[in-house]
Amino acid sequence: MTNTSEQATPLQLRNRDDIVLRLEHLVVNFQVGKQTVQAVSDVSLDVALGETLGLVGESGCGKSTVGRAIMQLPPPSAGRVLFKGQDLSNMSGEALRQTRTGLQMIFQDPISSLNPRRKVRDIVAEGLQIWRRPNQDARVREVMEAVGLDPDTVADRRPHQFSGGQCQRICIARSLALDPDVLICDEPVSALDVSVQAQILNLLEDMKQRYQLTMVFVAHNLAVVKNVSDRVAVMYLGKLCEIGNAEAIYARPAHPYTRALLASIPDMDPDARGQQDKIPLLQGDLPSPANPPSGCRFRTRCPNAQARCAEVEPVMQAVADSMTPDHFVACHFPL
Amino acid sequence: MPAKKHPKIESRAQNFARALQQVFGRGFGPGFWLAVVWLLIVAFCALFADWLPVRDPLDPVIANRLNGPFTSNLLGADGLGRDIFARLIHGARVSVVIGLTAVSIGMLIGGALGIIAGYFRGHFERALMAVLDVILAFPWLVLLLALVAFIGQSLFAISVAIGFLWIPAYARVARANTLSVVQREYVLAAKAMGASTSRILIKEVLPNVILPVLAYGLVAMGLVIIVESALAFLGLSVEAPQPTWGGMISEGKRHLATAVHVAVIPSVTMFLTVLSLNFVGDRLRSRFDVKESNL
Amino acid sequence: MRQPEHMESNASLLQVNNLSIRLNSAAGLVHAVEDVSFTLKAGQTLGIVGESGSGKSVMARSLMNLLPRRAVAQRKGSVLLSGREISTLSERELQRLRGPDIAMIFQDPMTALNPVLTICVQVSEPLQQHLGMSKQAARARAIELLDAVGIPDAVNRIDQYPHQLSGGMRQRVVIAIALTCNPSLLIADEPTTALDVTVQRQILDLLTGLQKERRMGMLLITHDLGVVASRADFIAVMYAGRLVEVAPANTLFKSMQHPYTEALFNSIPRINDASHTRLQAIPGRPPQLHNPAPGCAFAPRCPYAQQRCHRETPPVVQAEQAGHLHACFYPVSAPVALGGVR
Repeated sequence: MTNTSEQATPLQLRNRDDIVLRLEHLVVNFQVGKQTVQAVSDVSLDVALGETLGLVGESGCGKSTVGRAIMQLPPPSAGRVLFKGQDLSNMSGEALRQTRTGLQMIFQDPISSLNPRRKVRDIVAEGLQIWRRPNQDARVREVMEAVGLDPDTVADRRPHQFSGGQCQRICIARSLALDPDVLICDEPVSALDVSVQAQILNLLEDMKQRYQLTMVFVAHNLAVVKNVSDRVAVMYLGKLCEIGNAEAIYARPAHPYTRALLASIPDMDPDARGQQDKIPLLQGDLPSPANPPSGCRFRTRCPNAQARCAEVEPVMQAVADSMTPDHFVACHFPL
Repeated sequence: MPAKKHPKIESRAQNFARALQQVFGRGFGPGFWLAVVWLLIVAFCALFADWLPVRDPLDPVIANRLNGPFTSNLLGADGLGRDIFARLIHGARVSVVIGLTAVSIGMLIGGALGIIAGYFRGHFERALMAVLDVILAFPWLVLLLALVAFIGQSLFAISVAIGFLWIPAYARVARANTLSVVQREYVLAAKAMGASTSRILIKEVLPNVILPVLAYGLVAMGLVIIVESALAFLGLSVEAPQPTWGGMISEGKRHLATAVHVAVIPSVTMFLTVLSLNFVGDRLRSRFDVKESNL
Repeated sequence: MRQPEHMESNASLLQVNNLSIRLNSAAGLVHAVEDVSFTLKAGQTLGIVGESGSGKSVMARSLMNLLPRRAVAQRKGSVLLSGREISTLSERELQRLRGPDIAMIFQDPMTALNPVLTICVQVSEPLQQHLGMSKQAARARAIELLDAVGIPDAVNRIDQYPHQLSGGMRQRVVIAIALTCNPSLLIADEPTTALDVTVQRQILDLLTGLQKERRMGMLLITHDLGVVASRADFIAVMYAGRLVEVAPANTLFKSMQHPYTEALFNSIPRINDASHTRLQAIPGRPPQLHNPAPGCAFAPRCPYAQQRCHRETPPVVQAEQAGHLHACFYPVSAPVALGGVR
């Protein structure tokens, strides 16, 4: 698995000219005590220019680790991350620092992602200062106005004087200051109040248009992911289960896990109670990532599992009658 | 959120006022300010002892031997007839100098080691922690005696010796704080921006580690003053004629039966100083902690 | 369909009248709960929805008197449990209520369990204490309870420690502990917020199943509209310490009266909407609860607010349908078509 050069190109990687970000056979190992845990296991996917890829799954599925591995924070244990054709995972320190400015990241906890001892102006200008860019003040004003903050009243304050939603705006402003191509959002709204989530989601959508961003959006909330994404990738226990057009996946999930996730969302209409009960409830909990099941990792909770699922690990295959092309699933018995 | 009508010029001053209010404004209570006033008095005495209108602390006036307080000597006189008030004021100098030097040495060396260990982890951290554990496990008084015997009894030597003893404690405080800061996402965000390691250490880690370390320094200073007095008690602090609080207590023990005040007055002075340091340090530290948790 | 009107028991299990709670804080008095009244009958579930800081957890904790004594500056109003006033009881008398009469489930199953005690000790302790069971009998009952909350292999699991269980299993243990003394009222404060969606559904199914089976009253407190809509009989929407709207679950979202309920409902991304659908965000942010401004707390963010809303606090009034209450001068009355909204 670590020998990438001899592996075939995964099926789900598209052959297009406008691919901005491409992950090939990504593996991330963590050392837990004396055990090695594979948090991300052979994940390949790509994101085209101007596209938003939603990455969903339950906690511990490795979705956030993928986001950070793209940034090389920390670098993946194996596999390649290609950003505009350049292999980030092969780069030396200085070249990596240079190239990585084209990718920026927003985190889940907006408060923990802002240094409490620094002023908002310095936080937003951080990247500009590091790279000694010209016209820093003007750029800082521009991005702060773009995210809906008034530079005159906000710039000289410190993060603890702001609410979570506003802190997230500051984080977005900081990430935009260097004019990146790719924005990686790691659960950007899950720490926010329901009434503030929509503001930030709309803002991200606006910023994507205004600055021509390509986005990777990591989240556990399927409704939020659908709202922002063009394509969606579903992960389970470090593996990619299904990837494809957002509408296609939500309308006709091909992987039993995707279907179960969708069915788990509580229904807002009390009259519809009982309808979703037709879809069998997932039994049990996530297995330990330190000791994943053989074959298909989902088989221990899968209602359709057969003997073959324990023996052979399913590979990605195109979904036969999907609404859109480029819809792939890793299942022996797709729905 | 702020109304947009604030003109920019005013907002600077307002921000400063707000910052002042945040650090010193609410919730400290009168005890904190009493302690601060006491510490300021001690610091003032230490700085200006030579110019203050007090008697010569080294001049033995036989007639005044063991005078009680509020006689011709304000706080009485010791067994050699020297003025206790004057000796207290000059003794403050030793306590403050030793306190400041020892704490600075510990803070600079220990703090730097702790931050480096906490940030880079790995072999350096493990090795450093092992060495520090050994130093901590060593009986400090024996270590101190050995150090003083080795480098002498000057004010500077004693400060360095005590400061050396404090390196492990500071290293631990700095390392623990660094470990929690490094996990914060703003460090990750800075890395993603392309910040160099030294920039991250100076701009992101240091400002968040230095305040708890400084607050700890105040508490440590109180302990340093006690350590100095313990050395004085054993006759190993600064050489004899120079007054120190510990030395005064040590001399006073001979007269405990006849003139209690000779030992009690420097003890009370030291007690109040150490208490004030602990109190101020503790309040400041909890203030920073609260600020962290509010964030 | 669960129709609350068809419940045979008319006696209310829990009746809260004009409950107000002020808390001490560094920034001054926090008006955490303001003039909250509601009734809960046996066998019913009342869902309380609100954002963080809306006072829903403070209210829940105050029902069991679990707020730190020093934090509470003022407490007004009455809380009747099966007709008995409990807000004036001494700590000792309250301890006798907790367990057999009221039990509570908290958000975080990691911190709700004691890490150094086995599951067996934690589940059987209340059995021995409140019901005077012997050690063996309590252990046998504990195994039954763990079985009932869906813990596989309970006989062996019972001697494990909390860290050996997954989050979902821990929350099941917490539920088992809450059920030990057959409480008549179960307060579940964000019981699934720390859990993954697939596990969330298991736990909600378990809770509603047990609640029906044992005819418990349940207060289900959450920030997730979907959770209450799918599980509660009645829904109460809380904003800035007040209940702004209370209605049966099957009518609330079809005829929302309070602008906050409507705004909250509309701001949530829906799984059935197309990608990149523009969300109707609520402008501004939830208000600070110290020194509340006069008038309706939602007025500064409300699209329909008039002069009057900024001056007077709207009282709770009855809407057209029975059992539908709201606190708004200018209710939104247009019924909403609800075609498979998720």
